[in-house]
Amino acid sequence: MARHAVPDILPGTLDLLILRTLQTGSLHGWAISDRIQQVSQDVLQINQGSLYPALHRLEHRGSIEAEWAVSELGRRAKYYRLTPAGRRQLAVESSEWERMSMAIGRVMKLA
Amino acid sequence: MTLRDLLLHLRALATPRRVERELDEELAFHIERETRKHLADGLSPADARTRALARFGSVPLVADRCRDARGIGFIDDGARDILYALRTFRRAPLAALTIVVTVALGLGLLTAVFAIYDVVLLRPDAVQSPGQLFAVAMGQETGADTEPTVVFTRRDYEALRRETDVFTDAFAMNASAARVEGRLTRADLVTGNFFQVLGVRPSLGRALLPDDERAGRTVIVLSHAGWRKLFQSDEAVIGRRISINGTPFEIVGVMPDGFRGLAITPPDYWAPLSLTEQFPNSAGGRTDETAVEVVGRLKPDMSRDAAASALALWASRRPEFKKLPGRHIPVRLTPRQGTISTADVETQLLFAPLFFAFGLVLMIGCANVANLLLARGVSRQREIGIRLSLGGSRRRIIRQLLTESLLLALAAAAGALVVSRVFLEGALAAAMTTIPPEFTQAVSLLNLAAPVADWRVRTFLVAGAAVSTVCFGLAPALQATRLDVVRTMRGEVTRDARPRRARQILIAVQVGASALLLICAAIFLRGAFAAATHDPGIRTSDTLRVSIETEKQRATILQDLRTDPSVAIVAASSRPTHGVIETSLSQSRMPVEQVAVSSEYFTVLGLDLVNGRGFTPAERTAEAGVVVVSQSLARQLWTTGNGVGQVVRLEPPAGDSSRVSADARTARAEPARTLTVIGIVREPSRAPELFIRGVYLPTGPESPGTWLFVRVRGNLDQVRLALLERLTGLDPVFGIMTLGNGMQTALLQIGFGLTVVLGGLALVLTVSGLFSVLSYLVEQQAKDIGVRMALGAAALNVVRLVLSQSLRPVGIGLAAGAGLAVAVAIVLMATPAASEIGGVIDVFDPVAYAASALIIATACLIAVSVPTLRAVRIDPIATLRKD
Repeated sequence: MARHAVPDILPGTLDLLILRTLQTGSLHGWAISDRIQQVSQDVLQINQGSLYPALHRLEHRGSIEAEWAVSELGRRAKYYRLTPAGRRQLAVESSEWERMSMAIGRVMKLA
Repeated sequence: MTLRDLLLHLRALATPRRVERELDEELAFHIERETRKHLADGLSPADARTRALARFGSVPLVADRCRDARGIGFIDDGARDILYALRTFRRAPLAALTIVVTVALGLGLLTAVFAIYDVVLLRPDAVQSPGQLFAVAMGQETGADTEPTVVFTRRDYEALRRETDVFTDAFAMNASAARVEGRLTRADLVTGNFFQVLGVRPSLGRALLPDDERAGRTVIVLSHAGWRKLFQSDEAVIGRRISINGTPFEIVGVMPDGFRGLAITPPDYWAPLSLTEQFPNSAGGRTDETAVEVVGRLKPDMSRDAAASALALWASRRPEFKKLPGRHIPVRLTPRQGTISTADVETQLLFAPLFFAFGLVLMIGCANVANLLLARGVSRQREIGIRLSLGGSRRRIIRQLLTESLLLALAAAAGALVVSRVFLEGALAAAMTTIPPEFTQAVSLLNLAAPVADWRVRTFLVAGAAVSTVCFGLAPALQATRLDVVRTMRGEVTRDARPRRARQILIAVQVGASALLLICAAIFLRGAFAAATHDPGIRTSDTLRVSIETEKQRATILQDLRTDPSVAIVAASSRPTHGVIETSLSQSRMPVEQVAVSSEYFTVLGLDLVNGRGFTPAERTAEAGVVVVSQSLARQLWTTGNGVGQVVRLEPPAGDSSRVSADARTARAEPARTLTVIGIVREPSRAPELFIRGVYLPTGPESPGTWLFVRVRGNLDQVRLALLERLTGLDPVFGIMTLGNGMQTALLQIGFGLTVVLGGLALVLTVSGLFSVLSYLVEQQAKDIGVRMALGAAALNVVRLVLSQSLRPVGIGLAAGAGLAVAVAIVLMATPAASEIGGVIDVFDPVAYAASALIIATACLIAVSVPTLRAVRIDPIATLRKD
């Protein structure tokens, strides 16, 4: 598998990506990064050094909550899940993101 | 900070290792999962792992960043606040020290009171599951009279233990006193299972066993206090033989410190109950007829009510109890944990004024500290202004200031622990030296000791520190952060950040509290003085009161006294009882006190007969049909006040006949009598324990239970000691007292000592607070005063300006303090339990009020004078140039 030189994700979007990925259910850290990579067709590769601090920060902020459960490997893994507060945050931030990306797209096309 | 954040932080604080382990596990799982993915892609295991690790980067670094991510918030801020506070203390160590010492003194004294409260009411004895222990009491609960009305004997106890099954086990005990090698000691007589039921182990040797009791072995187990007092904590005491009332006993064990034998203070030792005959008591009689207290350990599955009704059923079937009037015998189980029941309202009330007085001193201390902080708040305006303008939120800065206060208060709490200990030891030592020597022996039986601080006392200290923090720290913190940022940044210190009213209130409160305490001190001092010089109206200079505890030795002791050359006359008096009197003229019945006295009694006590005659030696029982009436009662009964020759009817009071206690049995035997009045006698004006107003019946010194009153020749104290020495051989708990007001005076002196220490401390704190506040104000207003003087204000105007800032609150405080004292006095007099104090001290004593007011006013004037003089000497030119 060839490794692309991936540009860093836009600052501030990592939280949004994590929250969006968790919208469908609870996942452990590795699964979150794997899902983002697959869905983005390998464009977005999460820097692990940022993923876990971000998860812990979100947990402390109350957007997500963690629970230990048995994973597909048969050993314990820490699963993260959206809290109601996180769900609200996701709604706000994703609409904000759409507005922003539409605006950027328009500028790119028309300016 | 969210609640979740706080919970996660608390978790990290509580189980730091677990949180760390989970972090490691989480990251390790990621690498393992990544490795598996690479394996599935066809890499070799080693390659797969290398790639996974490379992709992840430095594991410790990620872990560190995770820790950082969650580490923002509360705990970190707290740590930063503490560091900042410590730096502040280092910059102004004197201020910090002043605050700590002030609060430590106030809190320490208050804690001393709480430590006593704790031991008396809260702290159960150091026994196994004290909550299961209950004392059995039988009989009607007659309101205030909580004495059990059925007396348990040893035989009843054995029957209860045999025939009922509500207790896992029960023991019987009985308090007594005896002489060990000539020294009066306190003994608890207990059944052999006492220590087993309580589940306490000896620290040396062994405990008493059921076998000791059965075999009647002469063995004792010492309490820790008794061990220290009688044997100076000698380890080799086990096996030693000592003589108790002349019988040799072997010491077999020593109990640990902290075990009090289910009492507030421990006895000196425990001995088998079967040896009761070696320990005389006033009731006399055979061992199995002596009254005992029965305490049982309730079965775990048994409720208190169920147990009580089971015992009531048992009692109603027991033939010995059936003889009692009233067939149904209610049984009460009262918790027996070695404390006074918290339901005892009177004891609680006793503590209320103590907590109040000591709390006042703490409050004054806090007011002083608050004043100091208010002043410092102004000088720290610049620092706080900078922090505010750099974006520090007001809440954040208030928290910072409160953290400082709390740290100081906690340091003070640590100091307060030492202060309370020193104060308790000192107060105990001072009280013991104040008590007259004839009472020291009796008081030493109490085995009083300064209570050791337990977790309750420590909790109290921490809570006290927290409350003090709010008292002295909150207002200054709010005040200091109420700033105009822009002006502060320009270097203009806001002169009047409204602290003036707060300060004046503080001064008024302080002065008021010191006034209250000093008035109390003055009243106690005057009371002690009055009691010491008071003429009780009886002959005390050469009279001794003798109490005989071993009745079988009465004849021998009487013989000894009568042949003693230092004894002039021997008289006798029973203890006062109550009765109802009815005259032949009016049909009104009147409750009276009655007492039986011998023919010599009036002579020995110097009570003159106003009319008629006293008893003749031949009249020595109530059968004689004669009675002597006290003067004021005679005036109430007969308009002329002279009832000699009249006939009266005397009955025992109606309510008492149902009582079935040892005392009442004799009282019940006394029928109503018709008596002829033969004399009217003068009354003693005030004499403790002596009967003042009522009727006298005849008796003789040979009657059991009477006190002897002895007129002596020569030095009263020498005769007392000589008699005590000789006659304790016959009666080990023989007691002789003088009739003076020694004890009362001593108690008042102790009261004075306590209040004067508190009041003095309060005054010193108040005066120093006043002094520092005024000095500070003068310094602050130097410019203002300079301008006024430059504009032509006279020195008098300046003095008036400075004084007006202090005299008003001082005056208000004085008035409030005196008013509060009067209010407390009125409430005290209206409380039945406390109104007796009015007979001992004059709670409205105007001299005491005036003297205290004078002292406080003088002290305040001195405190005010220095800053005032400084204000007058201000050089207007110099101050105006300064800035």
